[in-house]
Amino acid sequence: MSINRVERNNQTAISLRALRGSALKRGARQGALLIVVVILIAYFGILNSYFVTSQNIQNILLQATVVGILGIGQTYVVITGGIDLSIGSMVATAAVCSGIFSTHTSPIIAILGGIVVGAMAGLVNGLLIVSTKITPFIITLGTMGIYSGLALIITGGQAVYGIPSNFQHVLAGKAFGIPVPILLFAILTSLSVFVMKFTKFGEYLVAIGGNPEVATLAGISVRRVSAYAYIVSGSLAGLCGAILAARLGAADPNAGSDLLLVAIAATVMGGTKLAGGEGSMVGAAFGAILIATLTAGLTSLNVQAFYQKVAVGTAIILTILIDQFAKRRRR
Amino acid sequence: MNYSAISQNAVLKIKNVSKAFPGVQALSDVSFSVYPGEIHALLGENGAGKSTLLKTIFGVYRPDSGTFEIDGQEVIFKSPAEAINSGVAMVHQELSLIPQLNAIQNIVLGREMMRLGTINWSEARRRAEISLKRIGFKGNPNESVSNLSVAQQQLIEIARALSFEARILILDEPTSALTSQESNQLFEIVEKLRANNYAIIYVSHRLKEVLQLADRVTVLRDGKLITSIVRSEIQGEHDLVRHMVGRNLEEIERPDLNTTHKVEVLRVENLTIPGVVEDINISLYAGEIVCLAGMVGSGRTEIARAINGTDPRSTCRIYLNKKEIEIKNPRSAINYGIALLPEDRKRQGLVLHMSAASNATLPDPPGKFGFISRKIQESITTQALLPLNATFGALKMVKELSGGTQQKVVLARWLLTNSQVFIFDEPTRGIDVGAKLEIHNLMRDLAREGKVILMISSDLPEVLSVSDRVLVIRRGRLVKELEGTEITEEQVVLHATQG
Repeated sequence: MSINRVERNNQTAISLRALRGSALKRGARQGALLIVVVILIAYFGILNSYFVTSQNIQNILLQATVVGILGIGQTYVVITGGIDLSIGSMVATAAVCSGIFSTHTSPIIAILGGIVVGAMAGLVNGLLIVSTKITPFIITLGTMGIYSGLALIITGGQAVYGIPSNFQHVLAGKAFGIPVPILLFAILTSLSVFVMKFTKFGEYLVAIGGNPEVATLAGISVRRVSAYAYIVSGSLAGLCGAILAARLGAADPNAGSDLLLVAIAATVMGGTKLAGGEGSMVGAAFGAILIATLTAGLTSLNVQAFYQKVAVGTAIILTILIDQFAKRRRR
Repeated sequence: MNYSAISQNAVLKIKNVSKAFPGVQALSDVSFSVYPGEIHALLGENGAGKSTLLKTIFGVYRPDSGTFEIDGQEVIFKSPAEAINSGVAMVHQELSLIPQLNAIQNIVLGREMMRLGTINWSEARRRAEISLKRIGFKGNPNESVSNLSVAQQQLIEIARALSFEARILILDEPTSALTSQESNQLFEIVEKLRANNYAIIYVSHRLKEVLQLADRVTVLRDGKLITSIVRSEIQGEHDLVRHMVGRNLEEIERPDLNTTHKVEVLRVENLTIPGVVEDINISLYAGEIVCLAGMVGSGRTEIARAINGTDPRSTCRIYLNKKEIEIKNPRSAINYGIALLPEDRKRQGLVLHMSAASNATLPDPPGKFGFISRKIQESITTQALLPLNATFGALKMVKELSGGTQQKVVLARWLLTNSQVFIFDEPTRGIDVGAKLEIHNLMRDLAREGKVILMISSDLPEVLSVSDRVLVIRRGRLVKELEGTEITEEQVVLHATQG
């Protein structure tokens, strides 16, 4: 029942106005997130002046990178109407693989190795999903367990230590005065915005999530394009694994377990609909930055980690609630 | 037709109702009255304001100004629940039953009678059966409604509306998904309700049934009341069309095909889908519009889906320009220049959250190396929509467009594929007369260019006026081919239903 659909005339003047309106509406969510981040920084800055130093803001962004990149990967999948629950486990597997590679080969190969491991894991997800009729939720719930088990098996349950400093340097060092992970985060966000806006792949993702039957009838290979989304998600998780190994100087097979839910939180806070067909890459990035800002701010106020969890959880629900409220007002 | 009803007091008076949405005056100063014991047809093109008016009556929207009177009492409903409590019931175009529940459960849903903290099913059954009896429901009330036909589901929906002690019943396009036989049964029920003094507001695009049923017809155009006249003052369909579109529509002329040399474009041999259709052979020639006629469920849509490769169970041989081709999936059909406009615009035609331009260019977005050129996308969409008389920003979201305009976007998509064969499945279902005629003209233009059009339609007048040739399908078999003067209502109905 389309109670909300408003009958309209087709007059050009009117449609132009409506067009501008809808473009504003689409940007509103991301703008609002940015405003919240600024307000949070100002608030914590007033309470603790160290908070607004460039060093601290850099730290916050650094904290946001892994969640942000994972959130972007998740957004590719969620836009198709799927979900990837295995991202945390893929991070762990890729982290230990990349860590082991780094002790044997050059840093670049180790980084690429991590990405390839993630991509392979994503490929397995994608193939299982498109070749069976089992939902993405269940497939990736299964592979979540498999991949996290693999990470433990590879390392015998131990963290990989002795990661060479040249590897740490490449991924956790600085380029142009900016930490490499932040650069990667910015590049991947911009690239993904571009992909969604100006490539056929992005257009097909939205079409598949919006209405898979329409996509099929329009001649889109729904299965192939969906599988690509999982490969992208896996590759980005692989990169995150390498980044974590480099930043921590050790590859912990248990590293990914808390990343999954925070990454999904960043995705949905950014305005991506779990039902598919609608999503925002910038939104996912801002969502991750918001969560990192909140966590860092509470830490600077010496709020205990237990309470921080409550605060982040509340923030997720509030974001969605405010968005729904704003939508209703617009009607 | 008994029209003593006019002397009674109006059960519903709509007084100077206006409603605006951002950028659109959806209703301006609309006033008319509905009397008990009358079938009051509400007509208008898509976007004329019918849906807005119904939703305003039903409490979904609140009017900006103006009021309603029910039995002389001024009311403005704040919610559908208030409307229902005051005796107004609405049967929506899209059915709103819960498919897993049976008829009884659906009818009492939300008002279950309780006894000792549990549902009193025997009382529920008793009450539901009273409502079902009133409308002559013959099916099994214990069957999950998903196993019932659309027509039966609709009856349950009406029974549900009546069980609220409604006196004003709003039916929004009740026959849009029914076969002509089922429609006739519905008409009988509606007429019976009229005899029992219900006031019925009847919205339909089918002018014939409006003329057959209605005691009074109210026409809206651009949110304004054009006329509210009694049946006896209406001269015929042309009269209504003139009111709805504000101009006279020219009929399309049918070219005499016998004089043209026949060139075969598409031939389908031995098309079989196990359990659905059997051994169908079809040849289509350049420049003709061929209609697949038959009842809903006779296998027409499945034939179309088999030809374009959507249905994997089918087996057939397909020849395009006398060369055998293999169509594995919709992509290869598109590549061969065979386009299928699917029957269900919302479910199979459009991605509602995408722009018109994205939707129109979905099979082949313009651009090189995997990139999309948004600029070209917008301009080619605007150009493709131009001959369809649809001018609006091509970047507009499809969900914001009216039904007829949405259909034009889907049409534009398939026109842009520059195909040789067009299969149109119910191309004008649920759209207004103006848009309908534009689509008919477009099909004729395509045929004139030498394209082939295979149309599936349940709208008999459409079949009769548009087709050069009619293939009648009955229970999955091609039973009759009609050509030229053989194409009459009697012939089509006869072959579609008998046997």
